[in-house]
Amino acid sequence: MNLALTSFERRSARAAFGTIFPGADRGTLPLGICDMDLDGYLDRTLSSIPFEPSIGLRLAIWVVALAPIFVLKRFATIASLGVEDRERVISAIYASPYYVVRSAAIALKAIGSLFYCGDARVRPSIVGAPVPANSGIVALRKRSNHEIEEQGNEQRRIA
Amino acid sequence: MSNDASLEPHDHAPRFADDDLPAGAVVDGTKLDRDVDEEVDFVVVGSGAAGSVAAHTLATLGWSVAIVEEGPWLKTRDFNDDVLGTFEKALRDNGTQVLKGRAYMPMLQGRCVGGSTLVNSAIAWRMPEDVVDEWRRDHGIGDAITMKNLEPHYDALDRDLNVRAVADEVLGENNRLFLEAAKGRGIHATRMRRYDRGCKGSGQCITGCPNGAKQGMSVSYVPWALGTGNARIFCSCRVERVEVSGDRAVGVTAKAGARKVTLRARRGVFVAASTVQTPNILRRSGLRARAIGQHFQSHPGIGAGGFFDRPIGMNFGATQGAESIDFRTSDRFKLETIGMPPELAAARVPGIGAELTRRLASFANVAVWVANMRMTAQGTVDTQWDGRDRVTFTPNADDMRSSKKALVILGHMLLDAGAREVWPGVYGSPSVVTTHDEVEKLADATSDPRAYHFIATHLFGAARMGPDPRTSAVGLDFETHEARGLYVVDSSVFPTNLGVNPQHSIMALARMAAMSVAERASRGAAA
Repeated sequence: MNLALTSFERRSARAAFGTIFPGADRGTLPLGICDMDLDGYLDRTLSSIPFEPSIGLRLAIWVVALAPIFVLKRFATIASLGVEDRERVISAIYASPYYVVRSAAIALKAIGSLFYCGDARVRPSIVGAPVPANSGIVALRKRSNHEIEEQGNEQRRIA
Repeated sequence: MSNDASLEPHDHAPRFADDDLPAGAVVDGTKLDRDVDEEVDFVVVGSGAAGSVAAHTLATLGWSVAIVEEGPWLKTRDFNDDVLGTFEKALRDNGTQVLKGRAYMPMLQGRCVGGSTLVNSAIAWRMPEDVVDEWRRDHGIGDAITMKNLEPHYDALDRDLNVRAVADEVLGENNRLFLEAAKGRGIHATRMRRYDRGCKGSGQCITGCPNGAKQGMSVSYVPWALGTGNARIFCSCRVERVEVSGDRAVGVTAKAGARKVTLRARRGVFVAASTVQTPNILRRSGLRARAIGQHFQSHPGIGAGGFFDRPIGMNFGATQGAESIDFRTSDRFKLETIGMPPELAAARVPGIGAELTRRLASFANVAVWVANMRMTAQGTVDTQWDGRDRVTFTPNADDMRSSKKALVILGHMLLDAGAREVWPGVYGSPSVVTTHDEVEKLADATSDPRAYHFIATHLFGAARMGPDPRTSAVGLDFETHEARGLYVVDSSVFPTNLGVNPQHSIMALARMAAMSVAERASRGAAA
């Protein structure tokens, strides 16, 4: 039986997962992962996976929790930061040259995706309606680099 | 008799092969209230592609069979699109297994009745002739496995499981686009041939077919074996060891919670527990051949996502329905589609926070195309400090060169098909590429496997077949070199990987082995 998360780990996990999967206030989807039973999910996961991967999950949480010290050069934890700083920190972890470090963020995103995208209140907004094949929606045509570039410019202008 | 209007909803529900099982044929290890000690002709360890076909073959020929499966029996009517639930119920270690090497590679293995056939895409490929030649030429297989002696088994499997190409009505846009994009690049691509008895295009192969259409073993060979009246299955029972007396296998000992399950075998024991579990069972049973746990191979998958301006809808159609083997012999990869649920794909969608949710909100516009790499690297299988299986594997330089080439081709194809963004997922390269020039630069990306996101699928070797006990674990008759009456019939015995999806070949070899063993047993009984 793996030990349950400590309150520090739990706070850090909520901060990390909440930054990756934000609510409607910052994101495009109706709910954020912190609007769901994230604690219950983490408890269930920890109690059902073997010891070694449970250590991996904890390690990932600790990496993200303490990353502000190295990324922002500030004595702070992820949970104590504002949203923008949290995003900076987690983006920096993703881009880390150290495999173990960036794997921590990748692992959290993968574990969070399993839970977040499967939530019945969010999933319909993600998967959309089925699209049958041969519906003749478009005729496939190879686009030139110029066209693709133009489209990108247009999108940047709109943004 | 009641009319339709008065029927309860469940009266309208279709019935599946796993609904109506013979009374007493299924022993649920979680409900045992006493130890079990029984004797049969053959014990079969594992109910995946190999074990179920071997059990069915033996039972059909009149032998009594006990199948032992570590996982539970998950019923078709309980399947839905719940990916997390599938991970928790059907996958070994909740899907947290990894290949350990220079990089960590997730490895997904079914642990339930039907094994990985419950969660794969039911793709049927016969063994390529060049692989058979390679086995004969380089691995001493000789005439034990030839296209000619495999053919009747493939034919029987084709009939039993209704192998056919993906039909128009369930092709789905992800697969259709792949076929068009390949054609545009001069790459020969085809619709996949799959086990298909009424596919409705639910796009849920990965979480268990809710229609029982893809003919996983839990709705085909296992119920068929039980239906002969000669077979029983012990679910949720983990085999501790094969019992060997003198030089002969005489049964297995399994655990079901606190209960001990002893199954004595008059004729023999078939081990078909998968490439990862079989070698460790052999070791726990006292076998010491040097080849056990060596020569592990895989087909790690690598892929790219494409983001379109219009819906692709991976949630409809054959989960995997289009493929190309144009590069199989030249560069050792096979291109294919995969309709991934967002629960699995989101980890590879670029960005976090607002950027991620913006892309997820348009996930319907995403296509995922992948390459299965026939890597030449070899790994090992053993048991680690906590008793779990440990698999080590690191792609070599050639494997990485091919992987990069595959990614470049997939990137070009996605852009050709109209993708606005391509997500190659290579550390050190842009997470989003939008032009063919940018895609081409992926060929110069690092060759460090830690920069890529492989997923290990299709596992081979680790108890491989061969004539020499010094370099192989199993003889050309599938019997271990060390214990008579102990047969290994899963992909552990494959001397190499295949470059195509292995389920059909695993089943064909298991069927061939079981028929051969049964024939010898009959001769022995007659004598």
